[in-house]
Amino acid sequence: MYFYQDPQFGERMITLMAALVLVLQIAMVAQRWIVTNIRVFAAQSFLLAGIANTIAYFNHAPHIYFAAVMTFLIKVVFLPIFMERLVEKIEIRQEIEPLVNVPLSVLISGGLTMVGYVVAESFYHPESGPGAATLGHNTLAVAVSLFLIGFFMMLNRRKAVTQVLALLSLENGLFLAAISLTYGMPLVVELGVFFDLLVATMVLGILVYRIRETIDSMDVSKLRRLRG
Amino acid sequence: MTSSVLFAPVQLLLLLALSPLVGGVIKTLKARIQTRRGPGVLQPYRDLAKLFRKGMVIPESASWIFSAAPVVVFATAALVGLMIPMVTAEAPLSLFGGVLAVVYLLGLGRFFLALGGLDTGGSFGGLGSSREMTISALAEPAMMLAIFTVALSANSTNLSEIARAAIGQSWRFLAPSQMLAFAALFIVLIAETGRIPVDNPATHLELTMIHEAMILEYSGPYLALIEWGAWIKQLILMTLLINTFYPFGLTLEYSPGGIALACGAFLAKLLLLCFLIVLVESTNAKMRLFRVPELLAVAFILGALALISTFLF
Repeated sequence: MYFYQDPQFGERMITLMAALVLVLQIAMVAQRWIVTNIRVFAAQSFLLAGIANTIAYFNHAPHIYFAAVMTFLIKVVFLPIFMERLVEKIEIRQEIEPLVNVPLSVLISGGLTMVGYVVAESFYHPESGPGAATLGHNTLAVAVSLFLIGFFMMLNRRKAVTQVLALLSLENGLFLAAISLTYGMPLVVELGVFFDLLVATMVLGILVYRIRETIDSMDVSKLRRLRG
Repeated sequence: MTSSVLFAPVQLLLLLALSPLVGGVIKTLKARIQTRRGPGVLQPYRDLAKLFRKGMVIPESASWIFSAAPVVVFATAALVGLMIPMVTAEAPLSLFGGVLAVVYLLGLGRFFLALGGLDTGGSFGGLGSSREMTISALAEPAMMLAIFTVALSANSTNLSEIARAAIGQSWRFLAPSQMLAFAALFIVLIAETGRIPVDNPATHLELTMIHEAMILEYSGPYLALIEWGAWIKQLILMTLLINTFYPFGLTLEYSPGGIALACGAFLAKLLLLCFLIVLVESTNAKMRLFRVPELLAVAFILGALALISTFLF
């Protein structure tokens, strides 16, 4: 048996990639430039596709390959290109101005990761034998942390484009939780989620454009001034 | 045990001879990657030889601290160099102390360097010292967390034990906690050796300089000692990084063949790490000083995550 057929090796690779996904999420919190942020998101999605691929290979679940390919096409190729074009088109300042300063946001992300681990720990029951519940607990912790940090990023950012980016990374966390716990949702659900995401981003893209047209700024907190 | 003590002079020689070369290799590689010719690899040796021949200018306001600082910097660096496993898994002076002694002996050297910068009362020296202290105070927790991560998985803070435990386990370097701790320690390495996102080692003229500002008043043999000490410190941190995380090729016995093989493996790993540092230096711009804490906060969080994940993964 070659080492790449050893399930232990597969599990190690999944754990390693999940850890890298988490590192990239924190890098997104710490990174100030919008374009770099988009690229970090693309790298994160690429790793996610890798995780999906590995899970599909070691658990002989062909339909997860499909999810991996969809992730690659939509989140690694299409959305980053779309968003970079959008950023170029609306000519905003390239720097993200978070509400909480960067060192503190990084520390908060660390704290949220700890919360993620505590939550995932309660799902961990090794005594009930091998299965999804034991395999998933590392990745589930990462997934919950991704979700929480993504949520925090959405709160922490002013401009609509960067909030969309945070939403996408939050969705990455959901995807990771789904594939690591259940070996993938049914294909129809999977498709629905991807389509949803695609449409949401496109609509938000148009909305962002309109916001800038109307109030000459991307800062969503200025929208409140429109009230009579 | 006796053979490990007998190996001490060899390692000291290796440390003293190799450290300027590492500095030279990084400089040359960096020049090549930026399509410049750059100085030769042996330039640091020539610099050292020249500095040792020159006379010294000592400011009138200098006290004994000014002359003590270079010696302390050099001596602590050389001593620490004997306490880490370099080519043999057993460090020559491993009985003397573990990783905490290593970190705080380096801290002692840094403390005296900062005092030396303050001693003459020049404004640049004080500025450099205060910046150095700020950065090292932020880098130290990150470094300790990363090191505790490896110490935990080896159940010992003794570096020789850590290296031996790391040799025993295959695939361990793929564990997420190891990767996170490696990343944290790499950022600390960049910050502590004054490399580009944090400090620019190639200039004396910027207002943002840190290391160079502290040693602005030094000349001649004192400057040579400080520079040499800084190179040794750089080699120590690099060795610490590669031998605790990737201990392939560390020899356990003291046969000439084994030592030669271990030296080869060590040099190859060192070259790889040099290349990594050069890539980081060439692709990044220097940060504003007030952005440096952000970088070190990331290192701290990486270290903390590494520590958490050793308990959970």
